[in-house]
Amino acid sequence: MSPSDPREPVVTGTGPTGHAPREPDQTGPAATAVSRPRGASAAALLGSELTVLFRRRRTWAMLAALAAIPVLIAIAVRLTSSPVTPGRGPAFLDRITQNGLFVAITALIVSIPLFLPLTVGVVAGDTVAGEANLGTLRYLLVAPAGRVRLLLVKYAGAAAFCVAATLTVAVSGALIGAALFPVGPVTLLSGDTIGVGESVLRSLLIAAYVTVSLLGLSAIGLFISTLTEVPVGAMAATIVLSVTAQVLDALPQLDWLHPWLFSHYWLDFADLLRQPIDWTSFGANALLQGGYILVFGALAYGRFVTKDILS
Amino acid sequence: MTPRTFTKWLPAIVIPAVIAVGALAVPLTAGAAVDLPDKTPEQVLALVGTSTVDALSGTIEQTSELGLPELPTTGPGASANTGAASALELLTGSHTGRVYLNGPDNIRLQVLDNLAERDLVRNGSDVWLYNSKDNSAAHVTLPAKDAAGEDSARKGGMATPEQLAAKFLSAVGPSTTVSVGTDGSVAGRSVYDLVLTPKTTGTLVGTVSISVDSQTGLPLAVEVTARGQEKPAFRLAFTELSLGAPDASLFTFSPPAGASVTEQALPDAAALGQKNAADHATMKADAEKFFAGVTISGTGWDAVVELPAGSVPAELSSSPLLGELTTAVSGGRVISTALVSVLLTDDGRVFAGSVPSERLQAAAVGG
Repeated sequence: MSPSDPREPVVTGTGPTGHAPREPDQTGPAATAVSRPRGASAAALLGSELTVLFRRRRTWAMLAALAAIPVLIAIAVRLTSSPVTPGRGPAFLDRITQNGLFVAITALIVSIPLFLPLTVGVVAGDTVAGEANLGTLRYLLVAPAGRVRLLLVKYAGAAAFCVAATLTVAVSGALIGAALFPVGPVTLLSGDTIGVGESVLRSLLIAAYVTVSLLGLSAIGLFISTLTEVPVGAMAATIVLSVTAQVLDALPQLDWLHPWLFSHYWLDFADLLRQPIDWTSFGANALLQGGYILVFGALAYGRFVTKDILS
Repeated sequence: MTPRTFTKWLPAIVIPAVIAVGALAVPLTAGAAVDLPDKTPEQVLALVGTSTVDALSGTIEQTSELGLPELPTTGPGASANTGAASALELLTGSHTGRVYLNGPDNIRLQVLDNLAERDLVRNGSDVWLYNSKDNSAAHVTLPAKDAAGEDSARKGGMATPEQLAAKFLSAVGPSTTVSVGTDGSVAGRSVYDLVLTPKTTGTLVGTVSISVDSQTGLPLAVEVTARGQEKPAFRLAFTELSLGAPDASLFTFSPPAGASVTEQALPDAAALGQKNAADHATMKADAEKFFAGVTISGTGWDAVVELPAGSVPAELSSSPLLGELTTAVSGGRVISTALVSVLLTDDGRVFAGSVPSERLQAAAVGG
């Protein structure tokens, strides 16, 4: 948008239906930040951001949909009379009848290519564009140096959603698995067996891996969100990018590109199910996602601090 | 763009640039020049011979660019994992594996597949093979006395650098020039580079390079480069190596609950003795007949092996996979890879060698 943009600033008090309207006191922290220590105001801003995010009906709907994935898998496996043939369907599907804890892992494998990027794309794409669309962005920017802080807070909110989304799948999978199937020692990919306690620890590690995997996509979504005032556009672009990256990752002709794609290590969390744990992919994934956060964070910064905020 | 706007965009320019420079610089420093005291090929070979490393844990990476079509391995559950497809799958593409070794009796090999793993565990005379994809385990009990001999044959999937190096070193003879190349580093350790170059120009093999650890004499990498190519057609190398005994629990294996376990008996001397004499005699006759038909023409690198008609099982020769891999030539079908060519003639004979396929055709017509 150029300074000569003829668009009229839109200031509306309430958002469209379906969005929880910001309560009057939630613009307060940013507005009164001038007189407060910077750290306290950033914490207040983050608190307000998280409250708004997790009070949204949309957020709850997405988390509920994610929680439904392991439930569907578990019920489907429970109701089929014929045993699942090993090697058919998603990985670990045949292990579910022996051990309910595998529901969580199967559900994560199923949701990583589409469902998790979809929900993360919606949240990350909405971060800045959503506020611009609602006309609340400029109230959030009253404080000096507010833009960088707002960007950081917005990204932290998207990251918090990544954690929540992954944990939702993992916890709901573990619960439904424990309810419908026997729970016992878990067989690792290496053929070794570990106890229930350690398997819970490994499930949490996998959840951490998947969360880290989604951070790069969140940074991309944040950047795209600063480019537009139409949140749906930013969401769609982010989701399309995640699908495109996975398509490119499947083409052997683009071998040289694969280690640079943010989706390249998404399914490699199985390395945490080996004995001993292979940390190589965890490290490589974290490094790659860190690079994406830096690059797209810098791009988002460049765009956001030079942008004319009219709404 | 005003200067003020430019400074705001500066991080967006600098950070990708720094990352690009870093991505280029890290491989360069890893391959930085290493200068070791000069050694003759004989001294490097002796270093290998005196290697006493018998406990290690490490990660091995195998890459093959043989020019064979790559079987789909991406995505969960994509790769077929049975029979011929499994063997071909190991030859094409790349694999990562982990090796744990503690003395000759404790071995663990892991082929790290996508969302799956194939394991080989040897603990004394017990050998377990485990495949996580179909949750199947196989148990083999080695006869006590020739346990060591059986082991190398059983490793199957992924040979260690030691085994490959030993194979090539034993072939060093009048046919090969052996030299020491530039020193390098593999898995963070400085290595001597032993280069074997065939003297004949009739073979597809350009050079075989073996990286020998300068401290322990352990071969850390093997590279086979096809004639006229820059990138190795086959490479097997440690990417991580730590010397010292691995955790003992790695070598104890019991099949997990729910796994399908098969006991596989080895046809050892005692078992063979129990078979009736007639059976034994037919087997022996079959074997003799088979080996009588095998002829090797030429010596050294450009030798051609000929198998008589009928030596290829019918289910393999009629497999559609074979049809995809081979190309029709006059007189049969040929599989040519960067390093090896195989000719299946129409009358059922098989010619193979590390030579261009034209030489195989000439051998088929001449023989």
